[in-house]
Amino acid sequence: MKRLFAAATLVTLGVTAVFALWVTPERENQGFQAVRLLYLHVPTAWVAYLAFGVTALTSLLWLIPRTRDAAWDLIAGASAEVGVVFTGLTLVVGSLWGKPTWGTWWEWDARLTTTAILFFLYLGYLALRRTAATADERGKRCAIAALIAFVDVPISYLSVTWWQTLHQQGTVFNPQNKVLIDGSMAFTLVLAVVAFTMLYAYLVMERFELARLEEGREARELAQAIAERIAAEPVEVAPA
Amino acid sequence: MSTNWNYVIVGYTVVAVTMVSYFVWIKGRTRKLRRSLRDEDNG
Repeated sequence: MKRLFAAATLVTLGVTAVFALWVTPERENQGFQAVRLLYLHVPTAWVAYLAFGVTALTSLLWLIPRTRDAAWDLIAGASAEVGVVFTGLTLVVGSLWGKPTWGTWWEWDARLTTTAILFFLYLGYLALRRTAATADERGKRCAIAALIAFVDVPISYLSVTWWQTLHQQGTVFNPQNKVLIDGSMAFTLVLAVVAFTMLYAYLVMERFELARLEEGREARELAQAIAERIAAEPVEVAPA
Repeated sequence: MSTNWNYVIVGYTVVAVTMVSYFVWIKGRTRKLRRSLRDEDNG
């Protein structure tokens, strides 16, 4: 089943690339051919928000005693890691589009800055996951950190409306409720969002599997260390 | 390149290389861990 999903993801990504690189037209006000980078930039940004949303939700489920399950914590970690990769790509691809369109690689614009903050917040979250602690302690710390970090997601998303700096407003979702894209460009953008969402789901499944193995390994090493410690302790002989 | 194809090529290459590298890293580590756990179980 997973292999079938992986194949479907690969095909969807391939079709998206064909449409993005050969079928859609160039746009003078979007950097001519550089407009093709938006079929990467928009879906990677969407996946980053989605990934951090999943991390927040699963962290919340871990915090609630009734729904607490070790799997929620592992999914939260897996989703955050994938989210960080996609946020990094959003920043790099956005910068590559910005140079020919805006004439600059980087600007301390509201959207760019809040996205960079998002990237570093979740890097910190991933570092926190690696600190030494019991599974329960780590789960609690990370779940709280994930919920705090998630506050930056709506701020980043709404920053283009609130501050109206250099970054353009939403092409599909904007305060004017006017979709500013149509034809093959709209189709390709939707296809790209679907393809990257599938890629996200697949990567999280794989990363979750790895996290489960890492957890098993950690538990085994801990049990071994305890057994060795007990064996090394001198046996106390009670006085007769 | 006046029409900015160079930026497009770099962008698509960066995304493809990152995704493939990340996937290979996950798969490689999963395989290695699975093998080491199996070896420990067997003796």
